[in-house]
Amino acid sequence: MTDSLLITGITLGYLLVVLAVGLRARRGQGSSLEGYVAGGRHMGLLVLFFILGAEIFSAFAFLGAPGWAYSKGAPALYIIAYLALAVIVWWLIAPYISRLGRRHGFLTQAEFLTACYPTRGNLLGLFIGIVSVLAMIPYLTIQIAGAGMLFEAATSGTIPFWLGSLLACGVVAAYVYASGLQGIGWTNLLQGVMMVIVAWFLGLATADQFFGGVGEMFREIQREAPEYLTMPGASGMGWGAFSTAILVSALGCVMWPHIFMKFYSARSERTLKRVFVLYPLYSYLLIPLLIIGFAGVVLLKDRPLDSPDQVLLTLVVEMADFPAWLIGLALSGALAAAMSTAANLAHTSATILIRDVGQHLPSLRGMDDGKALRLTRYGVVVVSLAAYLLALVNPGSLVALLLGAYGIVVQLLPMLLGALFWRRASRIGAFAGLASGAVLTLYFQFSGSTPFDWHAGFCGLVVNALVFVGVSLSVSPVTQHTPAEALGPQP
Amino acid sequence: MNAPPKLPSVGMLIYFAICALALVWPGALLANRIEPLVMGLPFFIFWYVAWVFALFVGLVIAYRRESMEEADDD
Repeated sequence: MTDSLLITGITLGYLLVVLAVGLRARRGQGSSLEGYVAGGRHMGLLVLFFILGAEIFSAFAFLGAPGWAYSKGAPALYIIAYLALAVIVWWLIAPYISRLGRRHGFLTQAEFLTACYPTRGNLLGLFIGIVSVLAMIPYLTIQIAGAGMLFEAATSGTIPFWLGSLLACGVVAAYVYASGLQGIGWTNLLQGVMMVIVAWFLGLATADQFFGGVGEMFREIQREAPEYLTMPGASGMGWGAFSTAILVSALGCVMWPHIFMKFYSARSERTLKRVFVLYPLYSYLLIPLLIIGFAGVVLLKDRPLDSPDQVLLTLVVEMADFPAWLIGLALSGALAAAMSTAANLAHTSATILIRDVGQHLPSLRGMDDGKALRLTRYGVVVVSLAAYLLALVNPGSLVALLLGAYGIVVQLLPMLLGALFWRRASRIGAFAGLASGAVLTLYFQFSGSTPFDWHAGFCGLVVNALVFVGVSLSVSPVTQHTPAEALGPQP
Repeated sequence: MNAPPKLPSVGMLIYFAICALALVWPGALLANRIEPLVMGLPFFIFWYVAWVFALFVGLVIAYRRESMEEADDD
């Protein structure tokens, strides 16, 4: 009992520190929408690095990733592979997007795409806005639910699920409301450092305590369950499924609105490039977490877990002989991963709701900057509250909604690349590609089987790109400029 | 008018492509074994760690070359 009080105390202390840092970041900030949403397009190397890190490393890093290593083995490496490849995609397009955003005043992904492919009544913007929010709210819900689960497990129920998720959600909503991207930046820096330290310490300490070292641990797995250490892993993930999952995740990563919109916030294109140079090293954060999952392969051989996502909590909280203060810090680190992602999701969803969706309401048309800022802040609270309620209800369709909506968002990639680099990119081709890619992805996603066992989104992207190129070649003449080059001055 | 940024050199693009192919089929087939353990990691896992580092080095080189070119332009 005293143990769980100590754990609770340490974790609450950590939440207070995060809250204080997040609220302090408000100082010296102007009150413009651009400041709130994009940090005045003035975010520097260190903060941007940790923001992009926090966005990628969510509750999944501490729960799902070790769960993959524990239940499947080697296929879990897909996460490291896709992160590395995602950086290449960023490197190629992000500086250009950042430049266009600065020149034309874009703050959202939809604004950029609708400027390149204009539609009557801006229907494309409305569509992208709605689908993005439909993808992001379930994602946010998963972070908040993850935080609640971590709290409950690590404090042995002293803090129940509903309270743990409320605390995490409340802290995040408070500092995002008050400080916008500045608040997210400084707290992500703090939480990122916390995550890295905790992950490495836990990974090495777990291997050391149970096996006497990482090498010894893998030797033991090699003797007991060698199938976990190479492809196709324990559950038989084929090369086709593995490779296409990596490719579609790497390509799709740039299309997550909360990542895309951060390109606008960079101080300069050089800053962005510096972030990307360092970024691959961030993926090493996953190594110790995968090690914990692999440890579970041997340690939990006789009593397999019902839910693989519990492997880290089971080993660290129940089986390892760690002191209570250490478990408190471990919980704080895992919470950091969930909360730092949640902050970005709430902030981005609210921005999209107001900028892309809200402007279609007659009463909000042509609102001024101050009103937009106010509404965006309210949006943060509304979105957080909605996600918290969803976490309590935990509808079974949540993951399906996330996969379905995100599957459509990824299909915006060919038209984005076309807008940036292809002179013959045509509007009709882009829409035909988007429609066929989205329909096909949804069909494969929910029918459960794909050709060659490829990733559903990958099949959609291939067809999407072929339709886009085919239609564009057949309808549009060669022009002087790509759609992005042809953008006029800001209206 | 928005001039597109200069794409990386052909050499850099080839290097990126090699990194990508090393991490998926067919490149990763080469590494699909446990022995030898390197730094305590099975070879297949070490392969991914090593290629992430290779990508990092490649990006450092690309960044430095671009910086030098821009300095020449000024």
